[in-house]
Amino acid sequence: MIQNYLILSIILFCLGILGVITRRNVFTVFMSIELMLNAANLAFLAFSRLHESMDGHVLAMMVMAVAAAEAALALAVVILLHKHKGKLDTNLFSLLKG
Amino acid sequence: MFVDGLFTAFSVLAVLGALGLILFRHPMQGAMSLIVTIISLAGLYALLSAELIFVLQLIVYAGAIMSLILFIIMFLNIQTKDLPEEPARFYYFIGGIILLVPVASFLLKIVQSLPDAETTIVGNGFGGVKEVGMILFQDWLLPFEIVSILLLVALVGSVVLAGSKRRLSK
Repeated sequence: MIQNYLILSIILFCLGILGVITRRNVFTVFMSIELMLNAANLAFLAFSRLHESMDGHVLAMMVMAVAAAEAALALAVVILLHKHKGKLDTNLFSLLKG
Repeated sequence: MFVDGLFTAFSVLAVLGALGLILFRHPMQGAMSLIVTIISLAGLYALLSAELIFVLQLIVYAGAIMSLILFIIMFLNIQTKDLPEEPARFYYFIGGIILLVPVASFLLKIVQSLPDAETTIVGNGFGGVKEVGMILFQDWLLPFEIVSILLLVALVGSVVLAGSKRRLSK
């Protein structure tokens, strides 16, 4: 039964990677990263249930805090880039390319 | 039997939401699909008898983070013509699936070698606020403090990035 949860976690993680590498919309890429974090949380909780220890719950809380920090920073960057370019295409955001 | 039905329903909803996220063109529809995924994942956490994380998933993820994302999407007022053209999207999808098949099969092999356990609800306050809090403030105190510093840095960084127009234009 636990294996089904882990398989679901793998499926969601792979869909998140697929979203990151195939889409060019900044918001979709960002939400795919959130999806991968959620898949990692599901794996943490499944392993925590398997071993009946609660360390996985604490780690899931940390992942949520990291996701919240990431959301705040990434959305600030997106607003700034949208102000500069007026677009949401990741191919246009190449300011660091020498 | 009832729990199996709930697991099937929640997992099908989660996968459908994830597919909607990566297939819809407009980010608003994608965000709605991601909310479906997140709420069904909260149901799965409840089935794994993680009460605190179930509540936190609903409050923090579906309540705070997703409403922040939706607010920003609505704030930028994205029309369909502003969206990037993605003509080669389906070729990328096929390439990505070919790339991910070995990774996924490797992970599935690992998962199948694990011992299996029943997912009945654990008693004795497993996953409750008090028990998780005891572990958080005893064994995980240093990571907890580091996370607080991370949140402070993110707060200052987002204020600097989005707030001060004056300093950027100088």
